Amino acid sequence: MKRTAFLSLLLTAAALSLPLPAAEKAGPKPKLAERPLNAKAAPLNIAFISYANPQQVARDSEGVTKYLQKYLGMAVKGFVTLDYGSAIEAMRSEKADLAFVDPLAFMMAHEQIGARPLLLEIYRSGKPSYHSCIWVRKDRGLKQLADLRGKSIAFADQVDMSGHLMPRDVFVRAGLLPARRIEGEFFKQIYFAGGDEQAMRAMFNGFTDAAGVSQYSLGLLRGEERDQVMALATSIESPAHLLMARPGLGEELTQRIKRVLVALDKTNSADKAILDKLYGVQGYVEAQLDDFAEIAKVAAAYGFVKKPEMFSVGKAKP
Amino acid sequence: MKPVPSSLFRSAFGALTLFAGGVLALALAFALAVPRARAHIVLPEKLHPVAESYRRVSFILNVIPVAWDQVDPEIVALAEYWRAIDAPAADNFLKDGQAIIAKATIKPDPEKGIEPMPRRQAAARVFELCTRVIPVLVRHHLKETEQRTDNRLETLAKVKKAHGIWQAFEDTLSVVDSEAYRAQGQAWLQMTSALGTPGLLGAGAVPFDRENFRQQSQVVLDYLDGSYGKEFHAVEGRRLAPAPIRSATFNHEAKLPLRLPPGTNINKQLPRPRQILNMTARGVDESETALIALGDMAFDSAEIFGEPARSLGINCNTCHNKSITNPNFFIPGLSARPGGADITGSFFAGQLNNGHFDPLDIPDLRGIRFLAPYGRNGRFESLRDFTRFAIVNEFNGDEPDPMLVDAIIAYMNEFDFLPNRYLNRDGTLNEQAPADARRGEKIFTRPFPQMNGMSCATCHIPSANFVDHKRHDVGTVKGSEPFSRDRALKTQTLLGIRHTPPYFHDGSHATLREVSEYFNNYYKLGLSARELADLTAYVETVGDGIDPMEDTVHTLEAEMQEFSFFLSAFEFLDDKNKPDLMGLTFRTIATEIRAHKWDLQDYTHLPVLDKMAELMDQADAARKTDDRVTMRKLVAAFRELYDKNKVFLK
Repeated sequence: MKRTAFLSLLLTAAALSLPLPAAEKAGPKPKLAERPLNAKAAPLNIAFISYANPQQVARDSEGVTKYLQKYLGMAVKGFVTLDYGSAIEAMRSEKADLAFVDPLAFMMAHEQIGARPLLLEIYRSGKPSYHSCIWVRKDRGLKQLADLRGKSIAFADQVDMSGHLMPRDVFVRAGLLPARRIEGEFFKQIYFAGGDEQAMRAMFNGFTDAAGVSQYSLGLLRGEERDQVMALATSIESPAHLLMARPGLGEELTQRIKRVLVALDKTNSADKAILDKLYGVQGYVEAQLDDFAEIAKVAAAYGFVKKPEMFSVGKAKP
Repeated sequence: MKPVPSSLFRSAFGALTLFAGGVLALALAFALAVPRARAHIVLPEKLHPVAESYRRVSFILNVIPVAWDQVDPEIVALAEYWRAIDAPAADNFLKDGQAIIAKATIKPDPEKGIEPMPRRQAAARVFELCTRVIPVLVRHHLKETEQRTDNRLETLAKVKKAHGIWQAFEDTLSVVDSEAYRAQGQAWLQMTSALGTPGLLGAGAVPFDRENFRQQSQVVLDYLDGSYGKEFHAVEGRRLAPAPIRSATFNHEAKLPLRLPPGTNINKQLPRPRQILNMTARGVDESETALIALGDMAFDSAEIFGEPARSLGINCNTCHNKSITNPNFFIPGLSARPGGADITGSFFAGQLNNGHFDPLDIPDLRGIRFLAPYGRNGRFESLRDFTRFAIVNEFNGDEPDPMLVDAIIAYMNEFDFLPNRYLNRDGTLNEQAPADARRGEKIFTRPFPQMNGMSCATCHIPSANFVDHKRHDVGTVKGSEPFSRDRALKTQTLLGIRHTPPYFHDGSHATLREVSEYFNNYYKLGLSARELADLTAYVETVGDGIDPMEDTVHTLEAEMQEFSFFLSAFEFLDDKNKPDLMGLTFRTIATEIRAHKWDLQDYTHLPVLDKMAELMDQADAARKTDDRVTMRKLVAAFRELYDKNKVFLK
C-alpha cells in the first residue's frame, strides 16, 4: 500500500476510535540521555514517502528529526520523495541513510542494494503486522471465496503488497488462482481502482463484487456502511511498514537509532505528538529479516522478489 | 442524558406564509429515497472541491427562501476552477450566474416597474448553468489524461480529478439511473486499470492501454454530454437535481435522493458539555423517574419528527446537545454561521416557511423552567405549547401523544444552570468574584437616563435568574419597515452565557465584549474603555460556571447508561398500555446503539452491541403483534446482556 494511503487509513481508524489494545512493546521505556550536537558529524538523512501531500509530510517529519537530533547528537535531515523507487535510489547513492517504506519496497531494496530492516511500526491493533481482506457486501449472498468465480474484484494497485499481492494470494492459497498472474481464469474481471478507498467504494457501490485491500480499509467507509460489508477471507499476516537503513550505516549508530525510536511512548504526550505525525503509528519494535520470509514468497510469485530464501536466514546482519 | 426540541430556533418575525400548492409539491419531491441512519460522529464527506460546490449550490437552490448570498461564492468557486482551463468560458459563466442572482435579489419597486425574477425561475437557471459546467471539466481532465506523460502519479491524479468532479452527480445517478451508474462506475475502474504502472525498480511494469482508456472515457463522456450538455434543463415542477432524463435507463419513478450537502456538520461537540439534571444532582434513583426517562428518550429520538429530520437522524439533542447549544451545527443554505439555522424555511417543514432567510442562534436550554416565555421573541407563554409546535410545525412530526409532550417537559424541567461560585443566592456577586467584575456590577445596576432611567439589571434581574420574562426592542432586529413593531425579543438569561457564543438572536456578535460595545453605542451610554472592560468582565463572571465541559472524549459508556435509562420507562408504558410509545422507545434505543457502536474502543465487543440492538428490534416486532409476554422477556434479556457486559462497553 502506498505510504500516504496507509497513513490515511490509520488516521481514519484513529478518528473512528478503532480498538487500541496494549502495544506489544516489551519492558519499560528506557531512559534516554540527550547528546550535545556534534557539528562535525555528517548529517543523518531520512527519506519520508508521500504520494499525495509532500509539503504536509515535510512539515510533519520535523518532530521526529528534531527528536532524533536531540538524542543522537548529530544533525538529522528529512526529505520527501514521491515514491518508494526514489527513496531506494536515494539510498543506493547514499543520499538517504534511512527510509520509511512498505514491506515490498524493503524486500526489493534489500535484494538490490542490501538495505537492512531496523524497526517495524506498531498499528492500532497493537501488532507490528497487518493483513488484507477480501471484502464483499453482505447482501450479495457470497459465503465463500469460490462464490466469486466468474465475478469481479477491485484491487488498489498493481504494485501494492496489501492492496494486490496479499489479497490475491488468498485465492492462490485456496487453490482458486494460479500462483502466477494470469487474468481471467477465475474472475470475470479484475480492476485496479487506484487506491484502497477507491477499491472499497467500487465494491460498496456495486461496481465490483469484491475488493481485495488492507484490513484497515473498513475504516474508510462510514459507520452505517461498514455494517453492510464483511470480510469473506483474510490473507496471511504481513510485517508492518518499516524503517530501513542503507548498507554501510555504522552499527553503533544503527543501534542508537533503534533505541531512540523504540523509546517513543504513545502514553507520553510529547512522544505521542511525534508518533501521530509519523504516519500515525503507535510505536516501533525491532525488525528481523525473517519477519519477511512468508511475504517474500508471495512477492516472488509476481516477480518482485527474485530470491525469497534471502529472507529466511534469521536475524538481520548488522 | 440530554435536552428540547429545537423549539428555540425560530423566527418570530413576519407572517406565516403558506404557499399551499407549491410548497406541498416541493415537500413531496423532497421525500427521501434513501434514508440513511447517521453514525454518531459523521466524518465530512470528502469530494473534489468542484463536486462539493455543485452539491452545495444544488442544495441551497432547493431551499425556500434561497440564501442567495451563499449561492454566489459557490459559482465563484466553480468559475475559478474553470478559469484555469478556459478563462473566457468561465468568465461568461460567472457573469451569467451573477446576473441571475442580481435579478432575483433586486429590491422590488412597483413605481418603477421593478420586480425580482421569480425565485423558482432564478434558481432553475443558476442550477442549469452549474450543471452544464460539470461535463466540461470532466472532459478536460480525461482528455488531459489521454496525453499521458511518463509520470504515472500525475496521470492518476488527473483521472482522480475527473472522477472527483463526476461525483457531483453520483448521489443522484445511483438512485435514478442505477444501470448507467454501474456502467459508469465500471468505466472509471477500467480507466484506472488501463493506466498501467511503471512498476517498482524495474519489476511489475504494465504499459498504458491508451485505446482502452479512450474507449472507457468515451463511455463516461457520452453519458454526461447526452444527459447534462447544452440541452440540459431543470425539470419543471420538480426538485432541482441532475436527473438524466434523456438516458434510456432513467427511472422516472425513482424519488430524488436528499442528502445534506458537503459543509454540513450535525455532529455534537467534543468534549461534551456537562449536563446537570436536578434529580441527578439530588441523588435520585434514575430508574424510578419514568416520565423523565421517557422524555430523555424522546429528546434523543428523530422518530418524533417527520421527514426529512427523521431520516437525517436530526433530533432535539442534535442542536441542544446535553441541553446547551451545539456550536458546531451547520447546514449550508439553512445556517448563516455555525450554531444556528433558519427553521422557518421550507426545508424541515414546508408549512412553516415564512419566506425570508432569518437563521437564529440555537439557544441554551439550561434552566429553561425559569425562563418563560419561549421562543426568541417569547411568542409562547407555555413550554408545552412551544414543544408541541416545534415537533409538529418546525420538524414536521405527527401530532404527539400528550404523554410524550408531558415527558419531554418533565425532562426539560430537570435542566439546571451550571453552578457559579461567584454568585450569591440573590444574584449579586460575592467577594470571590474578580475585582473588575465587581466594578462592572455597579455599571450593570446603574440607571441610565439614555435608557429611560433603567439599568441593564432592570431587565436582566439578578435575583430572577437574570430575566424579567418580558419582551423588549433593543435594536437588534431589523424590522419589516421603518415604523413596524416587529422587533421585540424576550430577555435572555445571562447565566451560562460565557459558554454559548456567539450572541444575540442571530449570533451576529462573536464575543461578550462586542455585546457590551453594541449596547454602549445603541443607547449612547458613553462608557469608557475601562468601564466597557469591567462590564464585560461582569457578564463573563455571571455567565461562567463550574466545569462546563466533561473531561473525556469517550462517550459510549455514558450513552449506554442513558439507553438503559430510556428503557426504565418500559414498565410504566406497559402499565399505561402505551404500545406506540413502547415501540418508539425500542426503535430509538436500537437506532442509537447502532449509531454509537463505532465509538466502542475495543471492537471485540461489537457483537454485544449488535445483539442489544437486535433485541430491541425483536421487542418492537413482538409489540406489533401484541405479544406482550415475548416483549417483556426481550426487554429482560436486553437488561441482562447490558448488565453482564457494561464494563466492556466503553
